[in-house]
Amino acid sequence: MTTTAPKQRAARIVAGLKKAGIDFVATLPDEKMLEVIRTVERDPGLKHVPLCREEEGIGICAGAYLAGKKTALIMQNAGFLNSCNALTTTSLQFQIPALLLIYYAGDIGDRGFTTLGSVTEPVLKALGIRSTLLRRIDECDEILRDAQILADDSKRPVAVLLTKSALGVK
Amino acid sequence: MQRYDYLRSIAGDAQDALVVCTGWSAREWWALRPSDGNLKTRTLGLVSSIAAGLALALPHRKVIAIDGDGAFLMNLCGLPTIASQNPGNLIHLLFDNEIYEASGGTATVSPTADAVALAKGAGYRHASWVKTREAFRAAFTRAWKRNELTLIAVKIAPGQPDDLPPLRLDEIENKYRFMRYLEATEQRAIVNPGFDSKL
Repeated sequence: MTTTAPKQRAARIVAGLKKAGIDFVATLPDEKMLEVIRTVERDPGLKHVPLCREEEGIGICAGAYLAGKKTALIMQNAGFLNSCNALTTTSLQFQIPALLLIYYAGDIGDRGFTTLGSVTEPVLKALGIRSTLLRRIDECDEILRDAQILADDSKRPVAVLLTKSALGVK
Repeated sequence: MQRYDYLRSIAGDAQDALVVCTGWSAREWWALRPSDGNLKTRTLGLVSSIAAGLALALPHRKVIAIDGDGAFLMNLCGLPTIASQNPGNLIHLLFDNEIYEASGGTATVSPTADAVALAKGAGYRHASWVKTREAFRAAFTRAWKRNELTLIAVKIAPGQPDDLPPLRLDEIENKYRFMRYLEATEQRAIVNPGFDSKL
């Protein structure tokens, strides 16, 4: 794997978001998603809102959605857990979609944060938030497009769990 | 002086502003300015963030957040984010009654936390305490004309009028009415644009 792989993959992921119609992105970094967030930051076609805590991002994206924006939140799974109340009492209660791009810390094969990894999918399931795993970058466009279609039509957040292999990082 | 008294002083000035409310302020504001451009939030703290998202997506519209001290203190992380985005069309009103009024009336820590200092420290260019209805209305009018991010904070007595009409709107109806109102006033499709490709 070349050193430019994470950058190229980030470019594909961000291009996939845009093809899915996303135009408003709130982010809070995980090191593994550094290139993705940098790519979002540089893209003049995306409104980028860097967050201090993920839960406020649910609010900001909800407001933007009401005005017609297609929103995505890029965060780690710790941030997803930080957002659970807002996801429940704003996103789900008002039926407001959002694409949640979540770095899967503690995924099988990922060192550290194994506790976080073990609760991520059960919590998504408990909230009734459907999710899909992105392991192969070749599937990026299709998965992001389909997740956004589901979010739009179901009027609920939909999660795409980003893995090291998809991001091309160690 | 209660929140209702202050809100009444600006209801006639709010024109077609989008107004995002939390707690009891929703029923009060709806009574004073009935409109589908009003939104009642459900997540304690998020009123300012939801209003900011609207303000960023609609920079040509005025957006007003009606915040309370409990909600404000819960979402302190949201302040630097809002300030960094700096939506000039957002007017952030803070009604500080020093209690969690919608949650039974126990005390908040607002007596020892200066909300205006917090907002300024977070990067709000304009933030001030006001003490009278006249000063409140004047600060509101100034913020409207200046079109720069502003927090207006006021200490209030708890309570609301006895004869407030009920607000018989659930979140879903509120959302759709709000979005259809935006469609009508913005003259573009907002709800379900993807349905164009459906039978």
